[in-house]
Amino acid sequence: MNAEGRVYKATGIKLFWRMLLARAYPRFVSPIREKSWLFFETFLPLMATSAYVFVYKAVDAPPEFIGFVVIGGTMSAFWLNVLFGMAMQLYWDKEIGNLDAYILSPGPIMAILAGMALGGMVVAASRAVFVLVIASLAFQVTYTISSLPLLILVFLLTLLALYGMGMMFAAVYLAAGRDAWQINSLFQEPIYFISGFYFPVKTLGFWFAAAASIIPLTLGLDAMRQILFSGDPALGFLPVEVEILLLIVLSVVFLAVSQWALVTLERIGRRDGRIIERRR
Amino acid sequence: MRSSLAAFFSARNHRALRTFLTATWLGWRQEASWASAPVFALYLILRPLSSVLILVVMYSVITDGALEQPIFAYIYLGNALYILVGQLVGGISMAVVEDREHYQMMKQIHTAPINGYAYMLGRGIAKLLLGVISALVITGVGMLFFPLPLHPAAFDWPLLITSMAVGLTGIAALGVIIGALNMVIPRHIGSIGDAVAAALFLFTGAIFPLDVLPTWMQSIGFALPITYWLEASRRALLGPDAARFPTLAHFDDLALLQVLALGALGFVVVSIVVYRWAVYRAKANDLIDMDTSY
Amino acid sequence: MRSSLAIETRNLGRVYKIRHGRKSEPKELVALKDVNLEVPRGEFFGLLGPNGAGKSTLIKILSTLLLPTSGVALVDGLDVTRDMVEIRRRISLVSGGENSGFGFLSVEENLWMFARFYGLDSRDARQRIHEMLEIVGLADRKHTRIGELSTGLRQKMTFVRGFIPDPNVIFLDEPTLGLDVAAARDIRAFVKDWIRRYPDRTILLTTHYMAEADELCDRLAIIDRGQVLACDTPANLKRSLQQDTIYLLRVAPPDSKPAPNGTLESVPGVRQVTVAAGDGYSELKLRLAGDDALGNVLSHVAAQGSTLLSLEKREPTLEDVFIHLVGRGLSEDAPPNGAQGSDE
Repeated sequence: MNAEGRVYKATGIKLFWRMLLARAYPRFVSPIREKSWLFFETFLPLMATSAYVFVYKAVDAPPEFIGFVVIGGTMSAFWLNVLFGMAMQLYWDKEIGNLDAYILSPGPIMAILAGMALGGMVVAASRAVFVLVIASLAFQVTYTISSLPLLILVFLLTLLALYGMGMMFAAVYLAAGRDAWQINSLFQEPIYFISGFYFPVKTLGFWFAAAASIIPLTLGLDAMRQILFSGDPALGFLPVEVEILLLIVLSVVFLAVSQWALVTLERIGRRDGRIIERRR
Repeated sequence: MRSSLAAFFSARNHRALRTFLTATWLGWRQEASWASAPVFALYLILRPLSSVLILVVMYSVITDGALEQPIFAYIYLGNALYILVGQLVGGISMAVVEDREHYQMMKQIHTAPINGYAYMLGRGIAKLLLGVISALVITGVGMLFFPLPLHPAAFDWPLLITSMAVGLTGIAALGVIIGALNMVIPRHIGSIGDAVAAALFLFTGAIFPLDVLPTWMQSIGFALPITYWLEASRRALLGPDAARFPTLAHFDDLALLQVLALGALGFVVVSIVVYRWAVYRAKANDLIDMDTSY
Repeated sequence: MRSSLAIETRNLGRVYKIRHGRKSEPKELVALKDVNLEVPRGEFFGLLGPNGAGKSTLIKILSTLLLPTSGVALVDGLDVTRDMVEIRRRISLVSGGENSGFGFLSVEENLWMFARFYGLDSRDARQRIHEMLEIVGLADRKHTRIGELSTGLRQKMTFVRGFIPDPNVIFLDEPTLGLDVAAARDIRAFVKDWIRRYPDRTILLTTHYMAEADELCDRLAIIDRGQVLACDTPANLKRSLQQDTIYLLRVAPPDSKPAPNGTLESVPGVRQVTVAAGDGYSELKLRLAGDDALGNVLSHVAAQGSTLLSLEKREPTLEDVFIHLVGRGLSEDAPPNGAQGSDE
């Protein structure tokens, strides 16, 4: 309470941080409250990843390729989270009536999105670790890590750029109706393909891989595999240092575009009266 | 005789059929409500094309492009056929979530004098039709750009039609099972039907022969009608060119169809039981019009 | 200097452009037209109007969710177009029938999350949540997941949410919509108490319920087709009809159909007639120029072959004022008209 007996309300960075953590909170607790989520988001992706491992086994692929699939399957946890838990989330929030409460709060919606991202990352990470550990043990994957700090850096940068992209999608989908869901689904498998989730992206040729690098996972997967399976000639579409630099650029661009898109959409929404309208 | 025929045809007004047809119409209208036809066409083609290209690249990078090997046709066609599983299982089960949480019409459905099972089936039919289009396109791409040994004149049409009719019935029943489970659990971030279909990829020998799996996993595959449906359909399409692997080679075509029919029947029975249980449980626990609000 | 007005609109207008097909020319729908309102701080102000009158459009503009297409709107002295963020720090919006929140979080967790969106300290938030829940009788449900609450209780929680950030101005958009009598009474008691305890705060209420508006509001604006038709205290509004007399007649037509009211309006001294069908009778509400006109009316009814069942003289109510100004009852839809709002 302040001197006038009014409730103290934070502003600026403090408000941003409070909003961020408040929106992340439901994400943190949801896997504990609804345990069925855990089954569907851990065991089932593990099975899907395993299917691709057995394809390689069926054609007698060298063992490191199985490791490539395991890493792809691990990172798919984040990709699916970004697609369905991040990009779609503002749209769902609009559907269930939370969006007007976000908009009416005095802080930036970017804080809400950042909270969703943080919560989503933590939950997806638990699934990713599950897939990584079980699949690595089950298929006896051997890693030769060249630099652990570099691996952590690449991983974090990949997530930053990836969730930045998710925020951008979230802002754009806010303007869409049910089509958002369908357009969103459109991305799932094509990105598995062009980003090289189950094979080294270098296989697709330099220019194809370069174009696919707009998706942070393309660079992130290639860099992480280079560090985890150091010296494998199938890897290295670009040197790791260059990939790190590009991931930084992507992070900045996606975050800036999403900020701009949110502000623009809110302005257009207020002008046209469509800001919180549910369209079935 | 005349009157029984008339009664049969007046089944147009029968509750289950009426429900099924109306739900199919609704599903189709929903699918046709895309804002942009080109995006819709991309959706139909790009997703399945990408999934098959992943396999083509995986295969090529290891075998140095030996696409004429029978195993390539096995993988390629298995993947194309499996699109129908994803669409049917995903379509039927997702409709439950959409009806409940997006359109919020679950209460109306469950208080209307309709057959709920038929409604659920019907809601997935449009997706199946779209899946057929995708599968045909992918198969066409395979014939044009990859050396798939497919010759329509040489297809074993009776085997193909029978395996499709029986197999898809079983797969639709699986969709109802997942859809019924969706009735009693909250909405998940992704589509559970899609996730189950993706997971069953592992056990059904869709993109690799069951021989590659450890024995205990093979036994799961043998228990699923999808495994026999894929094998029978591949044999019908490829004829003598179909790769034969030890696991299913000892089944002749008739035996394969018999096992498939038995499995499909089993799935239908299970789906009816699970559906009734789910409706009961949803009503007992006030979950009919649950709003996950996630 | 802080403005003495909590809400002020000057010639406020809002036009929607509606397309009926993708390629058709947009059609203009006027939702608000030249709305001029002044609501001083500390006032409980009501907006009364039928569906499509423009009430929700006005609330959306004032709560920064929608931009006006003409005129000016100020909230707490700040311009809704320019000072959006600062206004949001000072206001709250509660909409009846709203179902927001996360089903798997408890009542307290949901309210805490929204309080944090407004920048409240965790401790302050929890304290206020506890106090508010006590007042509305939800304290024992603090740890219940909102997915397990009944519609009424969930709505109560949503209602409380609006008061937790300690707003200067709160917009209540049909807050008792769909609530049972007891829950609606709790809500009304809560807002009355709130404005009594914090006399410098302002409430703007939209409602369909005349009695609610009459009971709660210091002043009321009656709005229809985007225009403010009258704005005064409920007592003054009712007083404006006191030169007229209101009679309630129940008649049983011989053929059990309502009496032909069209001709009744042409009877000398009859200013307005509304008819409601009952079980085997019609209820006619008549606004007459004076008691003298009653004789003409009764003769007319008898001439039509109808039987008079009961007759009652009544003081004008807010509903009579509304019918007088709008030309129809609150529950009756407006006739199709291009100048009608589309927001509700």
